[in-house]
Amino acid sequence: MLESLLGQRGSRFVRGLLGIMLTLAIWQMLAWLDLINAVLLPSPLTVWGAIVDSLSDGSLIRHIVASMERVVVGVLLAAIVGLTLGVLLGRSSIIAEYCKPIIEALRPIPPIAWTPLAILWFGIGNAPSYFLVFIGAVFPVFISTYSAVRNIERTQINAALCLGATPAMLVRDVLIPGALPVIFPGLRIALGVGWMCVVAAELIAAQSGLGYMIQQSRLLLQTHFVVAGMIAIGVIGFAMNALMTILERKLVPWQESSRAT
Amino acid sequence: MSQLEIEGVCKEFPLRGGKGSLTVLEDVNLSIEAGELIVLLGPSGCGKSTLLNAIAGFNPPTRGTIQHDGVAVTRPDKRRTVVFQDYALFPWMTVQKNVEFGLKAQGVPEAQRAATARSHIELVKLKGFEDRYPYEISGGMKQRAAIARALAPSPDILLMDEPFGALDAQTRVLLQEELARIVAEMRCTVIFVTHSIEEAVFLADRVIVMSAHPGRVHSIHPVALPRPRNSETRALPEFIELTQNLWEALKPTWDQASTGQD
Repeated sequence: MLESLLGQRGSRFVRGLLGIMLTLAIWQMLAWLDLINAVLLPSPLTVWGAIVDSLSDGSLIRHIVASMERVVVGVLLAAIVGLTLGVLLGRSSIIAEYCKPIIEALRPIPPIAWTPLAILWFGIGNAPSYFLVFIGAVFPVFISTYSAVRNIERTQINAALCLGATPAMLVRDVLIPGALPVIFPGLRIALGVGWMCVVAAELIAAQSGLGYMIQQSRLLLQTHFVVAGMIAIGVIGFAMNALMTILERKLVPWQESSRAT
Repeated sequence: MSQLEIEGVCKEFPLRGGKGSLTVLEDVNLSIEAGELIVLLGPSGCGKSTLLNAIAGFNPPTRGTIQHDGVAVTRPDKRRTVVFQDYALFPWMTVQKNVEFGLKAQGVPEAQRAATARSHIELVKLKGFEDRYPYEISGGMKQRAAIARALAPSPDILLMDEPFGALDAQTRVLLQEELARIVAEMRCTVIFVTHSIEEAVFLADRVIVMSAHPGRVHSIHPVALPRPRNSETRALPEFIELTQNLWEALKPTWDQASTGQD
């Protein structure tokens, strides 16, 4: 019945929305019936109130901006370093032999395990967050760039070389665009990991941001602000991923079409 | 001295596990004159593509020398451009930008390279498709674009590695005729690799037949068919006779390559 009214995509959207509404309704009911502790898990309406309050006094936006700035800086640094290392190691197997073991040794260390050192090195503020986001995001960028560069069609490189491509032109016009379809998912993952890292970093080593907001609200036992912050984190993470997907479609249109055929 | 001198060229590839090596080319000697259309013909495994890659400078020979105008070939050079079987167009560039690539590498100013590229696109009859991406055009059109890209920097020698191997039979015939026309217009040397006898006879001034395991020059056959070569060429008795003679002469080599028996 839904399909005939809204089509397949529309009805999928409506069903998803109904699922969310239903969950919220049950949650709200349980709260009204006093079956869940309002401090341990505030009701949806209380959380909504917290969202509205923190929006109207500007604090939520301030925290969001602080977190996003840290992610952008950290991920940009990671992209620069990861792309450079990926192209370098992907092109030179000798450099790769020197660098791969140390990179592989550092890679499995969870970014959060770097937090104590990050605080000792950079104190409290933006710097440790930049660093932790960088640590989380650099490996996905590196790995995807490295394997992308190594897997570029040999004949495309040969074609560029016989046409007289200079090393700079080879990197800029062939290796990077040729690797982009594989680099892009890596960047998307990097942004996702970076977002998680920034929240983790702010729980401990910052005076602002969404992570700081939920940590601070916990100390004040204002759990409705904790949940409001969590919701903001989820929504923004989702939006960033969606934005990257759109960007990917715009920047690597040939990939989309070759998948289709 | 000839434009391209190939002397005593051997190519060995190390076998996996580091024990010994596989000889792909053994003692190849060839002199190629400027403006000649040379076809390297042979069964798969005869090393014809390996020889082409060595001439291009992608993969230098283990022993022996290749000299282009008296200078040893050690690396790829824009005076020897290549057309590949899988087109190797850059999928992130339009036809126009693909064709401009070699000109851009030479530092040709933007307006001039756009004009040069357009005239080459016209030459291969792709006018109107300048702004298409490779994935938006057919295989035959891709190969036309790749030919335009290789010709745009005005190379001395055009190297073609089974360029029509991935195309259907009809498109293939059409492109052979196009190539004959284009080359007559451009007057560059062409070295063309194929395993089709008909294609070899139709295009070549000289057919170099290669035999396999290890790859070496088996025999050289001048083709004295009149130019321009076009669809009527295929109906000439000389064309048919030459094709048949070549097949008779080659059967043992082909048989050996496909069965692995000496």
